[in-house]
Amino acid sequence: MSDESSQDRRMKELWQSQPTEGISMSIDQIRLSAGKFERRIHRRNLREYLAAAVAIAFFSFEFWRAGDLVVRIGFGLLIAGLFYLIWHMLSKGSSQPLPQDAGLSSCIEFQRRQLGHQRDLLRSVWLWYLAPLLPGMAVLLFAFGHANPGHLQHPAFVVVPEAMFFGAVCIAIALLNDRAADKLQRQIDELDNELRKS
Amino acid sequence: MPRNGQDKEVQFGEIAAAYGAALERLVRVYEADAETRRDLLQEILIALWRSLDRFDGRCSLRNWVYRIAHNVAASHVTRQIRRKKQLFVGLDELPDPPNEPQSFSEQAKRDEIDTMYELIAQLKPLDRQVMLAYLEGVDAASTAEITGLSAGSVATKIHRIKQILRNRFQEGESR
Repeated sequence: MSDESSQDRRMKELWQSQPTEGISMSIDQIRLSAGKFERRIHRRNLREYLAAAVAIAFFSFEFWRAGDLVVRIGFGLLIAGLFYLIWHMLSKGSSQPLPQDAGLSSCIEFQRRQLGHQRDLLRSVWLWYLAPLLPGMAVLLFAFGHANPGHLQHPAFVVVPEAMFFGAVCIAIALLNDRAADKLQRQIDELDNELRKS
Repeated sequence: MPRNGQDKEVQFGEIAAAYGAALERLVRVYEADAETRRDLLQEILIALWRSLDRFDGRCSLRNWVYRIAHNVAASHVTRQIRRKKQLFVGLDELPDPPNEPQSFSEQAKRDEIDTMYELIAQLKPLDRQVMLAYLEGVDAASTAEITGLSAGSVATKIHRIKQILRNRFQEGESR
């Protein structure tokens, strides 16, 4: 480079000559660590499976215990919703190891893809996290109201506040995730801006 | 393109020997905490090992190593941002502080290097990648291939990087 001054060269030399510890990991250690890394991912997935299994077992017990058909339908829908939620988290969640083709993508492409993936997960949280559980919750709310006739006679005191509470929680979750998605979108816009300028 | 396990091991050993020091400097740019830095370096080495079978020679081995290292490190930064709020700036937003006289003792060199790290740590990932590539002696075309920016955009950024470094370390040159 013609405009490379002695100062520019000195900075590079200074940078490259700084003492380093040296990579002390042998091939065997790398292989071992790679195995450990894979096992850590599996263990994390297993923990999520286990937590879901406990929830499903609890709802299944309630399903089996319930005498009322509507309550059974409610718990059945909740169990189905949980299965969908777990499948979604494990297949499309962010807890996946770095893709093996990370070296084939430029940094902008890779970062954009990763940010876009996380943004979409957050943006659609109401679809894959809230919506699958709502039918079961709604049916159970109705069933419990039905089991206590007083509640249905005066819905404004029990059923409506409960429904409003669940609704507010759902809206809050969706809004918080949407805000986080907006932040990621701003980072994506910055990358796109760099690409446009380039 | 490793053909078998032994080839893969040989190639990995070559990568560690050729780029080990550069990777250490790279992780220091992305992570200040020594313990977490070791984990990040390990994560990069594992990613290189796992991806080695996919290396098809479409880009140079050096660019491929840097791409993986930066991509792993950028993912690390994204995870860190979610944990703690951190503000990054672009090359144009870095302030030019007054220069202080520098001697060329070892301590002064270490101080200069520390200042460089502080400078780079403030940058957004993309600017950070360009600056690191520049300091590592990677040419503009290869930096463009690693980052995905155009060669022109990389040249503009490098021009700005040189200005920043000259302003910061002016006294060193006029020694």
